Amino acid sequence: MTTEKKLTGAGLLFNVLEQHGVEHVFGYPGGAIMPIYDALYDSKVEHFLCRHEQGAAFSAVGYARASGKVGVCFATSGPGATNLITGLADALADSIPVVAITGQVATAAMGSDAFQEIDIFGLSLACTKHSFQVTDINDLAKVLHQAFAIALEGRQGPVLVDIPKDIQITEVNRSLDELVNLENKVKLPPANVGSAIALLNQAKQPILYVGGGVGMANAIDELRDFAKITGLPSVSTLKGLGAIDPEDENYLGMLGMHGTKAANIAVQECDLLIAVGARFDDRVTGKLNEFAPHAKVIHFDIDTSEINKRRIADASILGDLKVNLPALAIPLAIKPWQAVCHEMNNNFAWDYNHPGESIFAPAVLKEISDKMPENSCVTTDVGQHQMWAAQHMVFDDPSNFLTSAGMGTMGFGIPAAVGAQVSRPTDCIIAVSGDGSFMMNVQELSTIKRFQLPVKIVLIDNAKLGMVRQWQDLFFNGRLSETDLADNPDFIMLANAFDIKAKMITKKSEVSAAIEEMLEHDGPYLLQVKIDAQENVWPLVPPNTANDKMMEST
Amino acid sequence: MNNYQLMITADDKQVVLERILQVTRYRGFLISGINAKVNTGTNIGTIELLVRSERPIELLVDQINKLIDIKEVKVDNSAS
Ligand SMILES: Cc1ncc(C[n+]2csc(CCOP(=O)(O)OP(=O)(O)O)c2C)c(N)n1
Ligand SMILES: [Mg+2]
Repeated sequence: MTTEKKLTGAGLLFNVLEQHGVEHVFGYPGGAIMPIYDALYDSKVEHFLCRHEQGAAFSAVGYARASGKVGVCFATSGPGATNLITGLADALADSIPVVAITGQVATAAMGSDAFQEIDIFGLSLACTKHSFQVTDINDLAKVLHQAFAIALEGRQGPVLVDIPKDIQITEVNRSLDELVNLENKVKLPPANVGSAIALLNQAKQPILYVGGGVGMANAIDELRDFAKITGLPSVSTLKGLGAIDPEDENYLGMLGMHGTKAANIAVQECDLLIAVGARFDDRVTGKLNEFAPHAKVIHFDIDTSEINKRRIADASILGDLKVNLPALAIPLAIKPWQAVCHEMNNNFAWDYNHPGESIFAPAVLKEISDKMPENSCVTTDVGQHQMWAAQHMVFDDPSNFLTSAGMGTMGFGIPAAVGAQVSRPTDCIIAVSGDGSFMMNVQELSTIKRFQLPVKIVLIDNAKLGMVRQWQDLFFNGRLSETDLADNPDFIMLANAFDIKAKMITKKSEVSAAIEEMLEHDGPYLLQVKIDAQENVWPLVPPNTANDKMMEST
Repeated sequence: MNNYQLMITADDKQVVLERILQVTRYRGFLISGINAKVNTGTNIGTIELLVRSERPIELLVDQINKLIDIKEVKVDNSAS
């Protein structure tokens, strides 16, 4: 007969994870987290071994973004913990609920420069929403509950819990605390509903400016109803894509540095800007004091600190979008303005004519978008391919387009796709990557192999750090510095080494069949799409320029 | 440069001062003076922070308020 094992701090961790409905975690073991990996053995939680802690953090982010659940990642102390930091920063910038658990050296050794000791708690201050270091076993359960509550409450974000090794092995009693729901910590002032309604009624040329907050608030239906009832012409940020119904006739597309001409001109001409879960990011506004220069602003958000941060709001509507959007959904008399916007949409539609044999990436991405199954989820890396995906693919939900928006982190796409696929095993997950970004977390192909994840990778290969090359050509007198990747590895051989089926295409005539083969393939697949290195992303609003002064070609 | 005086009350956690200082620096406020103490009975810390910046103080107040361990932030308008 076996005697019942005593519950330890490590075991308690898994009990709390299970209590919060956590089924999957992404991580990498090491000395200071070994008791947790030992307790994993007895837990129902399924662990996905990534091949770098950054991969684990991004997989947790992708998991959270694709599913709406909290993403969880584990890392050991020292280098394991520091490797998480980029992923946490990314989650902070995009407000993604992630709980990161790090092992720490034993409390007695802390502060002695012990082996693999780093002050991750100190390091976490600038890259998490909140963080904890547990130094008393009696605090462990409460801290873990708080970590989940804080990750999800108000504006969501990453929380780190650092657990010293001795706490992991200390025995605890078995009873579990009740789950508690946290209220939004910051007490919100009452919404200026009256003045917002007055602004709406006065406006002749209003624009709805939709950000990532809509998806985070799970307020897509409320937003679409609001757009329909008001009839507002709308634009979206990169992270907001998918919130507005892409079929909405008043939708003008993405705004900002690589936004559509229609969206940027409409915003510059509008007399009222209704910002919903958006934060006037510099990639959206261009030159701030020339952004929407004639507009009054109504600002909806859950985070008080976003109001008046970069643009003064004439009316602020703080709180839950699910409640506040319906309160302002009134029909507006803006027919002439709608007509102006429709005309711009027609006049400035994308042009897919592209001379010559070489493959046109925007057309490839559009074709993938047209052919991919319903409820596919696309992740991207960062660069030209990312902007082309945002411009030319169509998304009907923000959880179907995962891109590193606020941080712009290369290396995001592949591990985020891993997380997305784990959370949605039957949906088609497509990672659109670049030849530079792909190499930043290429080790995660091993995770794809290990778990036989049927992720489809579309590698837009210009043998360049294309976005930087574009800027060097346009703004640095063509002085190309360290952006050539002519010595890239053989990507097909590389994929094959991980048991991933792969194919390279170089000509337009090969595109359609290759896309179909990829989408029909039952398993992971890499499609390497060779494109001309000189292709640029258009339109482009040059840095520190008003958004209507966009460049459309060289 | 404008001078401001903030009165902050917070749960007494070791790290809370670090958090306040990090946010203050990052958001573009220079610290002219600081005075911090803890009421051991209530475990509530009070921090008096003298800061200066070109930026409006509301930006910093909102950011400090968001920190989880902060109970209240008040601006003393008598400082100039
Ligand atoms: C981690 C990181 N390092 C550097 C950058 C700066 N950067 C932005 S885009 C880019 C080039 C990306 O190249 P690639 O992935 O091939 O995409 P392309 O622009 O060629 O489509 C670089 C270096 C970044 N965004 N992230
Ligand atoms: Mg490239």
